[in-house]
Amino acid sequence: MENTTVSKHSVSFGLALAITCVVNALIVVVKEKSAVVMDGMRKITGHHWITHTVIVLVLFVIFALLFSRANGGQGMKITASRLINIVVAGVVISGISIVGFYLFAD
Amino acid sequence: MNEVILMSHVLFGVGCMVAAVWLFVDVLNANEGNLARIRIISWGAAVFMWLAFLIGGYFYVTAYKADKAIILNGPWPFAHDLVMETKEHMVIMLLLLVTYLPIAASNNLAVSKDARKLMLWVTGMIALLALAMDGEGAIIAMGVKMGLLPK
Repeated sequence: MENTTVSKHSVSFGLALAITCVVNALIVVVKEKSAVVMDGMRKITGHHWITHTVIVLVLFVIFALLFSRANGGQGMKITASRLINIVVAGVVISGISIVGFYLFAD
Repeated sequence: MNEVILMSHVLFGVGCMVAAVWLFVDVLNANEGNLARIRIISWGAAVFMWLAFLIGGYFYVTAYKADKAIILNGPWPFAHDLVMETKEHMVIMLLLLVTYLPIAASNNLAVSKDARKLMLWVTGMIALLALAMDGEGAIIAMGVKMGLLPK
């Protein structure tokens, strides 16, 4: 019999994925526009891109854990179709923002 | 050595793309009989992408500087300014998507229509992003080649 459920971790990691994709694009804009931020990121790991990647991956895990522990450990309550919309929107917005930034603003 | 590194990077990236397309088709026909295979290939796609990412990242951090100088002095500076810059940041999204893939595949795809829909979107985005990364890599390589041609 068909059902329409996805697991707690699918929801929490999916939401974390969408948010960190957008954060990824925001970091691109901030570090490219601010020499101070770029230098700071270089100093942390020796290369701005390594620092950038580590920040995004750590935030992904932190957001996923936070979302999975919401509602007394039951996780975030959203429908699967809403989760899909949020994940796709996060990826698309981030992709367009990054390409758009290097195409027009950098 | 750099050639081996770059070819491995492409090999694992294409492996991830092929795995994503395979998954897309397998998920369209998800049933109790292919659930285990879908989950194994999801892990395979994630491992391939992580290897492609780590190998490519190592090259980018340690050796790309020389290629960058050639590209920027050549007739195709956009191969770095636009293509490499977008590639190095969009690949992080791809890494997040493939990390999420085994989690999305852990649902019972045989009985949950929405879980299948989620997997189809995730594998579709992975395949398209991996294809875009592959194309961008080709443009960057061509940018180096153009920069090395006699003027």
